[in-house]
Amino acid sequence: MVNLLWMHGGACNGNTQSFLNAEEPTVIDLVTDFGINILYHHSLSMEFGEQVRRLYEQILNDEIPLDILVVEGTIIQGPNGTGRYDMLMDRPKKDWIWDFAHKAQYVVAIGDCACWGGIPATKPNPSESIGLQYMKEERGGFLGTQFRSKAGLPVINIPGCPAHPDWVTQILVAIATGRLEDVVLDDLQRPQTFFKTFTQTGCTRVQYFEWKEPVEEFGQGTRKGCLFYEQGCRGPMTHSPCNRILWNRQSSKTRAGMPCIGCTEPQFPFFDLAPGTVFKTQKILGSIPKEVPQGSDPLSYSVNAALARAVAPKWAKEDMFVP
Amino acid sequence: MKKQETIVKTNKMEIKVHSLGRVEGDLDVKVAIEDGVVVDAWTEATMFRGFEMILKGKDPQAGLIVTPRICGICGGSHLTKAVYALDTAWGTEVPPNATLIRNIAQAAETIQSIPRWFYALFAIGLTHRNYASSKLYDEVVRRWAPFEGEHYEIGVVVSAKPVEIYAIFGGQWPHSSFMVPGGVVSAPTLSDITRSISILEYYRETWLEKILLGCSVERWLENKTWADVLAWLDEKPEHRDSDLGLFIRYSMEIGLDKYGAGPGRYLAAGNFFNPQQYRYPTIEGRNAALIARSGIFDGEKFHDFDQARIREDHTYSFYRGSGSYHPFEGVTDPLDPVEGQKEGKYTFAKAPRYDIPGIGETPLEVGPLARQVIAGRPGAQEWQDYDPLFLNIIKEIGPSAMVRVLARLHEAAKYYLRMKEWLKQIDLNEKFYIKPKELPEGRGFGATEAARGALADWIQIKDGKIENYQVVTPTAWNIGPRDRHGQRGPIETAMIGVPIKNPEDPVELAHIAQSYDSCLVCTVHAYDAKSRKELAKYEVIKMC
Repeated sequence: MVNLLWMHGGACNGNTQSFLNAEEPTVIDLVTDFGINILYHHSLSMEFGEQVRRLYEQILNDEIPLDILVVEGTIIQGPNGTGRYDMLMDRPKKDWIWDFAHKAQYVVAIGDCACWGGIPATKPNPSESIGLQYMKEERGGFLGTQFRSKAGLPVINIPGCPAHPDWVTQILVAIATGRLEDVVLDDLQRPQTFFKTFTQTGCTRVQYFEWKEPVEEFGQGTRKGCLFYEQGCRGPMTHSPCNRILWNRQSSKTRAGMPCIGCTEPQFPFFDLAPGTVFKTQKILGSIPKEVPQGSDPLSYSVNAALARAVAPKWAKEDMFVP
Repeated sequence: MKKQETIVKTNKMEIKVHSLGRVEGDLDVKVAIEDGVVVDAWTEATMFRGFEMILKGKDPQAGLIVTPRICGICGGSHLTKAVYALDTAWGTEVPPNATLIRNIAQAAETIQSIPRWFYALFAIGLTHRNYASSKLYDEVVRRWAPFEGEHYEIGVVVSAKPVEIYAIFGGQWPHSSFMVPGGVVSAPTLSDITRSISILEYYRETWLEKILLGCSVERWLENKTWADVLAWLDEKPEHRDSDLGLFIRYSMEIGLDKYGAGPGRYLAAGNFFNPQQYRYPTIEGRNAALIARSGIFDGEKFHDFDQARIREDHTYSFYRGSGSYHPFEGVTDPLDPVEGQKEGKYTFAKAPRYDIPGIGETPLEVGPLARQVIAGRPGAQEWQDYDPLFLNIIKEIGPSAMVRVLARLHEAAKYYLRMKEWLKQIDLNEKFYIKPKELPEGRGFGATEAARGALADWIQIKDGKIENYQVVTPTAWNIGPRDRHGQRGPIETAMIGVPIKNPEDPVELAHIAQSYDSCLVCTVHAYDAKSRKELAKYEVIKMC
């Protein structure tokens, strides 16, 4: 039996909603089959007012051991560092989260907001939002670089906007079943089992990518072309298993025809959504993509691209997924 | 024996009710209770994130990425109104296929929300010990208890299914940005359509008909009056014993039909478009093209919906000044709550009001009940929804927490049928997108109905970037505070008159808040406003 407390800061509830879509296991299975005891979750618990306050106090007084603290949402520090833009029981929520983080065996940040600050931390960041152990790509965050939970680990980051339910449930099960040692974190504290591959891995458009065949415009779905060249798709540069562990068991953004917006990376939303950057590939000299797949550079990339386009087979210009 | 003296008790107390669950603003409710009945209420949203401020100066399409993240529960609805705001600003042409897909996606989010909200958020409160003496209590617990309840598990699990359809067209749910000005990014293939139909049928067979209705969707939709609903209950044991049947019988036993009426005045922004009627989206052409109509019901008469009559008042909200502006002129300039409280302000929610001709600025309830009351307005075009059931119900038995929940459940049947129809109409060989011209200047308005009510965006574009962006959410409509005229917000009104059996555990207030589902995702938490430790005791004044 492991005790889990779920807190939400500057959140939209999207990670909870995503979590509720989980199927293998379902949220209910976590409780009934895997012995995860949800001490409190704002959307799932029956407990009431004083009961919740007492529970919080019991955790802080070490009467109830806290195994896993899950945080969804940013830490809101505004205005002027007071945290009064986000109050819980007349106390800044950031203070509750600080206290619980220092009691927990493991701290798991779910979704971009809790990992890196996410959309609310986009300039001008009116709520003074920050991630648990990062502010965008900068280490430190709310808890500081040195923070380690009781079990000696930094915050386990499960990013994404939202995080996929399987990424969440599988890490929780790993903790509950004593398999956390199998979870290796990358340099952004993300489980490598999910975040070593790229969004592009498994994308149905990858053959079009190979032959440098672009999607001419939206509305082509899976039928034709790659979204990297014109629509600003970040699939080749983004670490996620979105095309490997499908969304809602059915699809992924790029499969449906939407460019990947890189939501598992700390820089999301990229370019702070400046004019001209949404759904548009940023280019050098009008034609070379400014950002190219990891390990490549724009020049060698474009030499390779020119060759690929020249020798592309005829079918690369045709619909592959016919209606 | 001498008869005991009559003691007149006046029980007065004020409690602050804290709700942890929410989406775009945590909510506290302060209520004043006298003689066990709520006599006044103040709703306090306690969180501020400043999305409208983030959008200023950004790419005109930034709203498609940012606004869905305002709320992960109705992110698809945010996307829908954000895209229509840009469609109107840029003067796009939207091919019929794209309108069908937008309708399907919007409906999928809603039919997901219905079981998820009912089982995970609302019905668990009905298993509260307060009702242990009800003869239906054991059955309610057996079905709806959290995690262990037999139908709780089915309801929560089936709620993941409709959004699989969303993912087929949009890549994922929540948080896709697949609707773009001029259409949608996707172009389904045959297998996408057949798969969607089969998921929809699974939803109907597994839950909608088998568990919720106890009859066919078509049979339930034959009910046109409250009398029809009562007759339906008695018609067959399957009806009576369905979750809907049990909910109605139990509600009437525990009194959910007796409180939580709210303001009795409603607004619907309307939802879903006829693909031919809204090929060229404009602000002016919107009402006529809607399938689920927009409108205002003032308690007696219907009025046409006109976005120009909406105002946001922030006299009592933690924003600088005390203006009441149309959203095109809207400002979001937050205050430290400590500073705001000095001016009598008490919440981060603004107070949306609608200027009803002849009545003036009025707080209005939004949500499924509002939509279903507007659906009873005569004069629908042949492509529009006309459904007199809930106008009749509020006339026969009045609005209440029970009726509000009923309206929500009713929509599962209606939207299921609509989705089936739209899936049939998709023409795989026609366009799903027509590339628009990205105009550097413009003004747009887009609106829809999230599962929990009217949701709208106003965008102003200048020099190719966002000059001003304002979002008015269902949460703001329903949980908004008092306004400059001193009128309470809808939930504040709905709290008044609620009997509180046990002030230390005011589950009745939770039912009200949850019946509105104003992004108050869960239960209500009560504690004393002063000591913060213990609940206030009755102040008992004995008079001889």
